[in-house]
Amino acid sequence: MSNVTSYDLVVVGSGPAGQKAAIQGAKAGKSVAIIELDRELGGACVHRGTIPSKTLRENALRVKNMRLNAELAQFELAEDVELVTLIDRLDDVLDAHDHYMRNQIERNQVDLLHGKASFVSSKEIEIKSVRGESRKIHFQKMVIASGSIPRHPGNIAIDHEHIFDSDSILSMLYLPRSLSVLGGGVIASEYASIFQALGVQVTMIDKYPKPLGFLDDDLCTTFVNAFESMGGRWLGNSVVKQAYWDGLSHVVVELENGDQVKSEKLLCAAGRIANVKILDIEKADLQLNERGLLSVDENLQTAVEGIYAAGDIIGPPSLASASMEQGRRAVCNAFDLPVGSMSQMIPTGIYSIPELSSVGLTEDQAKKQCGEPIIGIAKFNEIARGQISGSQQGMLKIVCDNQGQKVLGVSIVGEGATELVHIGQMAILSEANVDIFVESIFNFPTLAEAYRVAALAVIAKRGNRVNSY
Amino acid sequence: MLMEINQLAQTLVESFNKKIHSNDIEIPLLSEVASRVIRLTQDSESGAEDLAKLIQSDQTLAAHVMRIANSANYSPNSSLVSLQQAIARLGMRVIADIALAASINSKIFSAPGYSDFIAQQLKFSLHSGVWAKEVARECRRNVEAAFLAGLLHDIGKPVAIHVVINYLQSKNRELPRQEFLQIVSLLGRKLNGFVARKWELPNTVCEIVEHFNDYEQAGKAKESTMIVVAGAHFAQQYSNIEGREALSTDEFLASAVFADLNLYPDDIAVLTEKADLVRQTVEAMSA
Repeated sequence: MSNVTSYDLVVVGSGPAGQKAAIQGAKAGKSVAIIELDRELGGACVHRGTIPSKTLRENALRVKNMRLNAELAQFELAEDVELVTLIDRLDDVLDAHDHYMRNQIERNQVDLLHGKASFVSSKEIEIKSVRGESRKIHFQKMVIASGSIPRHPGNIAIDHEHIFDSDSILSMLYLPRSLSVLGGGVIASEYASIFQALGVQVTMIDKYPKPLGFLDDDLCTTFVNAFESMGGRWLGNSVVKQAYWDGLSHVVVELENGDQVKSEKLLCAAGRIANVKILDIEKADLQLNERGLLSVDENLQTAVEGIYAAGDIIGPPSLASASMEQGRRAVCNAFDLPVGSMSQMIPTGIYSIPELSSVGLTEDQAKKQCGEPIIGIAKFNEIARGQISGSQQGMLKIVCDNQGQKVLGVSIVGEGATELVHIGQMAILSEANVDIFVESIFNFPTLAEAYRVAALAVIAKRGNRVNSY
Repeated sequence: MLMEINQLAQTLVESFNKKIHSNDIEIPLLSEVASRVIRLTQDSESGAEDLAKLIQSDQTLAAHVMRIANSANYSPNSSLVSLQQAIARLGMRVIADIALAASINSKIFSAPGYSDFIAQQLKFSLHSGVWAKEVARECRRNVEAAFLAGLLHDIGKPVAIHVVINYLQSKNRELPRQEFLQIVSLLGRKLNGFVARKWELPNTVCEIVEHFNDYEQAGKAKESTMIVVAGAHFAQQYSNIEGREALSTDEFLASAVFADLNLYPDDIAVLTEKADLVRQTVEAMSA
């Protein structure tokens, strides 16, 4: 039985972007509906990505640290430990998150519609339930926040049994003895280092010379060195011809140079594309751009008036933090609400082992923008806390302007990077000079002291009052 | 008549309970399966893939191999959860030895007049396993475990057949075919969980087998049980096995388990398109 209902705002997708969009609309007094095709709220971020992988990462870190401290405890991970044991408490975490989200949605009187959405026109959407029932609803404004799905290259026979994508990799029941990871981006780097830390023999394969190419070379090199020191293998400049299951016990990766890499399982992390397959966006006069994403203007509006998009579906940075802000902004723009003074500066956090994080300009970007930035670097093995906690594999880099004054960017690799970066973020936002890190007192011993060491390096290079501190 | 069948089933369960205490539970193999194992393991020309296929295609052989592979002799420090894992961990040479030992040492089905029925049951379990794989794949859940659980979801049935035939022979009694099938079905359902636990099959399989007829009570195993139930539904609908009547399309699509698994009509349509592929896979595995 079809019902026609009308809302001020319809949001497709309940991930980070969709959630914030819906709540913003509700708080502005609009009638709002969220359409979600899964039974649970939160999208890929909660159920297939961020939360499960970070939970796994925490245990991978514990395992790695326990192995490093073998003198304190004879530790070895149980043979064939089930993956569910390593992603412990995940059900509790997900239940708590779902419960919290439902409460928030209910409290804000947002209607939650469970079903698959598809456009009828640029003002009407059809929702089909799991039982095949259909209803149509009109909307004044729409935010498409349906997220992304893994890209499946044609030469990789992904079967979610031996060859996985990033949505299915955590469906494995047990840790494989060996794993090939195709790709050099964030997801590939995170999973490759996490599984290597758990004792899986991991080979990362990518066509580019180094992973995480959007970061500075020295950070990438530090990451690769750390990965290889755990036993991992990085095969850069390697083009994959095809990958397939041999029918018995191995996945075979054939490289264009004639080499073969065999492993028990394989993760294909070849990027993610907009999740619009079921949306029938053409009926709303929308189409994907050449990168397979939805294009939006500076107000996050698509080419169709009244239809906005936010989150992974519009492309990088594809971070939950950015998506949340995009969702909120899209609705503010849609209803001419004040956007507020939320900063545009979004740090990047990569939850590999070790972590990487960056905010503001990288060294490469600063060189392009201002010519001769002054760089200061602190190595974690020079910091007392780095030695004490065994986090010697790390570095912190401060990028300053040509005068060595203003902080333009901070990049960090090493444990705690995703927390430490916020100190640099605050300095950039307050337009502080790098001297602030020397003029301020940090707790001792902490990794944050790396800011002081890096700042001193900048100051030394700018040639001012070398011995003042 | 139903009461008599229920009473007989109860008698057989009690008789079976005694066997449990004496550790005397048999899952018989088909003679031709045992013969093929022996042939393949002795033939230096045959590839490991043929034996792997055979093990994965036969419910009772798979149960034997998992039981032995998971025993202290072979896996003292770990618990294997799928046939694929067993092959990867132990290697096909060891798996071949296990399969050979099982084939030589196990009871063989001796059920004159019922060999077709037994073959159909085993074929249905294979269809269920392959379909459970496809449902798991669609749901992005573990495919290996779904296959094993689908294959073994009615592992009680071959035991039930064996128990009923032995009982009837011991009492010099016969049953009309229809009643024989009814009692095997009843007894098989009662024995599923028993057999899975007694044979120390992987915990995931035990949970699924125990709750197959009531997945709402499966707790943390609810989703994986639903996947296997859905797989069995597809097998019932598309296996074209004699005695397995397909539902009408509407009845099939209205199966509660599909909605509970969040499978939309178009998801079911995608799965349905695999019917030929599944039949071909089953034929290839059974060849």
